[in-house]
Amino acid sequence: MNLLGFHAVANAWLFALIAPLVLFYFLKLKRPRLQVPSLVLWRQVVQDKRVNSPFQRFKRNLLLLLQLLLLILLVTAALQPFLQRRPQRATRTPVLLDCSASMAALGPASDARADAARQTVSRLQAARQQVGKMVDDLLPDEEMCIISFSRTARRRTDFTNNKRVLRKALEDIEIEEVPSNVEEALRMTQALSRNVSFDEVLLLSDGNFPGRAHVQLSFSRLNYRRLPKAGANIGITSLSARRRASRDWDVFVLVEGSADAEGAATVQVDRDGQPLGSQKVFVSKGGEERIMFRVGGEKASTIEARLVPEQADSLACDNVAYLHLPALRSLQVYVSPSLPAYGHALRAIESINVHTEPSEASYDLVITDRAEDLNLEATTRLCVGIVPGDLSEVIQVKEQPCAVVDWSRTAPLLHYVELGELSIMHQPCCREGITDSDLENNGYEVLAHGDKGPLLVQKQEPDRLSFFLLFHSDHSTLPYRVGFPVLVSNLVQVAMQQAGLAEARGLQTGVLGGIVLRPSRRVTVRPPEGAAVEQTTDEGGVLSGVPAPRVGYYRISEGGELWARLGVALLDASETSLQGVDKITFDEELSVAASAKELKTDRPLWPILALLAFCVMLGEWWYFQRGAGGGTQ
Amino acid sequence: MTVESIIHKPQLTTLFGNDVLDRLERLRISSRRRFTSKSRGEHLTGRGGASIEFSDYRDYAPGDDVRFVDWNVFARLNRPYLKLYHQEEEMHVVLLVDASASMGFEGKLERARQLAGAFGVMGLRGSERVSVGSFNSATGAVGRLPPCSGRASMTKVLRFIEQVQPGGDAPVEAGIETFLKYHVGRGIVVVLSDFLTFGDLRRAFNLLFSSGLELMAVQVLGPTEIDPDVTGDLRMVDCETQATLDVTSANDLVDLYQEYRLAFERRLAALSQQRSGRFLSIGSEDELDWVLFDLMTRKGWVQ
Repeated sequence: MNLLGFHAVANAWLFALIAPLVLFYFLKLKRPRLQVPSLVLWRQVVQDKRVNSPFQRFKRNLLLLLQLLLLILLVTAALQPFLQRRPQRATRTPVLLDCSASMAALGPASDARADAARQTVSRLQAARQQVGKMVDDLLPDEEMCIISFSRTARRRTDFTNNKRVLRKALEDIEIEEVPSNVEEALRMTQALSRNVSFDEVLLLSDGNFPGRAHVQLSFSRLNYRRLPKAGANIGITSLSARRRASRDWDVFVLVEGSADAEGAATVQVDRDGQPLGSQKVFVSKGGEERIMFRVGGEKASTIEARLVPEQADSLACDNVAYLHLPALRSLQVYVSPSLPAYGHALRAIESINVHTEPSEASYDLVITDRAEDLNLEATTRLCVGIVPGDLSEVIQVKEQPCAVVDWSRTAPLLHYVELGELSIMHQPCCREGITDSDLENNGYEVLAHGDKGPLLVQKQEPDRLSFFLLFHSDHSTLPYRVGFPVLVSNLVQVAMQQAGLAEARGLQTGVLGGIVLRPSRRVTVRPPEGAAVEQTTDEGGVLSGVPAPRVGYYRISEGGELWARLGVALLDASETSLQGVDKITFDEELSVAASAKELKTDRPLWPILALLAFCVMLGEWWYFQRGAGGGTQ
Repeated sequence: MTVESIIHKPQLTTLFGNDVLDRLERLRISSRRRFTSKSRGEHLTGRGGASIEFSDYRDYAPGDDVRFVDWNVFARLNRPYLKLYHQEEEMHVVLLVDASASMGFEGKLERARQLAGAFGVMGLRGSERVSVGSFNSATGAVGRLPPCSGRASMTKVLRFIEQVQPGGDAPVEAGIETFLKYHVGRGIVVVLSDFLTFGDLRRAFNLLFSSGLELMAVQVLGPTEIDPDVTGDLRMVDCETQATLDVTSANDLVDLYQEYRLAFERRLAALSQQRSGRFLSIGSEDELDWVLFDLMTRKGWVQ
């Protein structure tokens, strides 16, 4: 490996300037004339052996030698030498810089003063320093492209060697308090590689992402640099609530820590700004603590949980979480009068109001076998013996017996429901060539399969969840099975969840969606930090795609009128754990190991040479001008 | 004589003031070897003479002048003894002033003229025959004042010395040799020069010695010759020959220059002493009073 390289070898012709320099030195050397009475003594002095010693000869031509040294230094600097410290050079390097929440973690705390200073440096700042050094050492024929990634990836610069642009892009990168997704960054890099060729990709991260990436590498080298380990951290990783039958909410707070975090902390819970309670927890290494608070559900409220660690905590953004609890009420269920079995099963369940007469009111659950009832407004529907209109072309119900071949036991609707012995008199049949994939393309998920087609499908729409029992339950043994009341109970639970009456979970950073407001309105979303953004609700009044990269309250208003105030928190156990993967495995079973060594870059030497030249020039000036004021002319 | 006439007493010479002149008139040149001319003068010789100052007795020898027999001693001892007297002979004082261009630097010639005038005054006041020579041309041509004596010649001597001007590139050894072609008489010679010559001074000093002249060499150097303040790269130009010498880092050579200057002075002193002469080096900025009445008195040059 060559230790020294030159970028502009063509500039070596500048060494030819030595010839005119020497020529001009001897031609143009002008000494001040000094008239003396006699040269007798001076001639003897000049002819003395001591004056003509090699060192004195050197001193006599010191000016020429210094000028030659100066010229050589300048020309060598013009050759743009560099110290090669990497085994292979890369002219274009995309730099993937992680800016997810865990990158805000500070270094490990220590009593040592130097380490204490390091503790104040976040992982992102450490990564910035490393990339900044790379930018400083960028050689003229090298280009760099900076890509930051968290949940999504964003290209900050094109391939450039403009150091000002690169430094500005580095400074603009801020922490996004969301989990990181390295796949997005690698896919973006793949897309870049289609237009620009490069050999090496530098990935700077704390490794807090899944160890398996479903990406096919199209570039030869991925240099995965894992940043130094962060300090201990404790945070709230889950804030949820579950409905109790007595019209109360049980609020659960889960506190977890990183592998080396151990210590006490206090969890303070506020309800609508009023203290609800606090509890001290002790988190052991790698352990977790779950605490519960009971909150009345008589009105909608906002719960804010705040964690106050008693020792150093490297990540602050996971110490707060928010939870929005709706006012608890009975589930409004409409059951078609033609389905008495369902009504009978529903009456055994608490906290529901069963209606058998249709009205204009909205329902939480509609169970019907009549097509006209499909117009009823409901968040959950069970359509019995009805083939949805968009499937009528592909599914035909024939009057022939069939049995359930398979069903999804993990689907919430079919939990603990045994359909194996079910006898059905009508058989939904798919047309030839129609597969489950065609149904999925229409938004349907098959929950139960018959001999020749689906028996039960579900369709999730933005504001509604619909189940379609493609055969009529009255023409089957379903109502007589043990699993039928379980099925109805599951349906009620699903409806409660769909209506937000069964449980509630804290909103996570990332993207907010499914916020039901008024239709086709232009609203202003004001994040906790940064500028407000304008967005429009769809025809259904749903506001979706609201970016929420920061922890805090997001205020949604229209014309100054506040519509909603949503608290968003990190609530990610992986980010709180600050654990990093040492290896990324790709689809083709390739793996890239992390390196924690110092990032080495080719170091340009021209600034050092230029500085030396400047010093030589100053030394020459000082040496030859030091006695100018007292010289005898 | 009024007080005003005393205060405004006209200066006899521009070389020095009347006060210096008054002090000079009380001084005499002190020679070591008593090189004297046969003509009668005021300097006592080692030989017996015809002066009135008694010297010694000796036995009478046939042929001696009976006029010098001490008859009183003969009457007491009944043996003739001859009475001897000191011989008083005239001493020639030669003043040689180097007036080459190099002496025109930093008041060197001015100081040389002052010293020459001082020696001239002392010589004339001591009833010596004083002659003056100056050389300032490349050919060695010498401006010469013939020997003169007596107080009446003081003005003539001083005027001659005042008119000596610097110029030319005459080497001091050539000037001495040329002067000696026209000089007759024994005594002392005061050579006032910087002695900075590429030539050989031994021959010139030998000629002086063989001519019966006791050498009194006075080297006059300027302040920048004694302690040169030079720095950097210089091209030195000889004011007489216009020859040049390139000197690099001159400030680093000053110490070496001093070594050579002192060695040169020691060599001149040795050359003078080997020929029964004396050598003295002074600076052109040294006080005249200090040189004349302190330094030369202490060195025994004058008394």
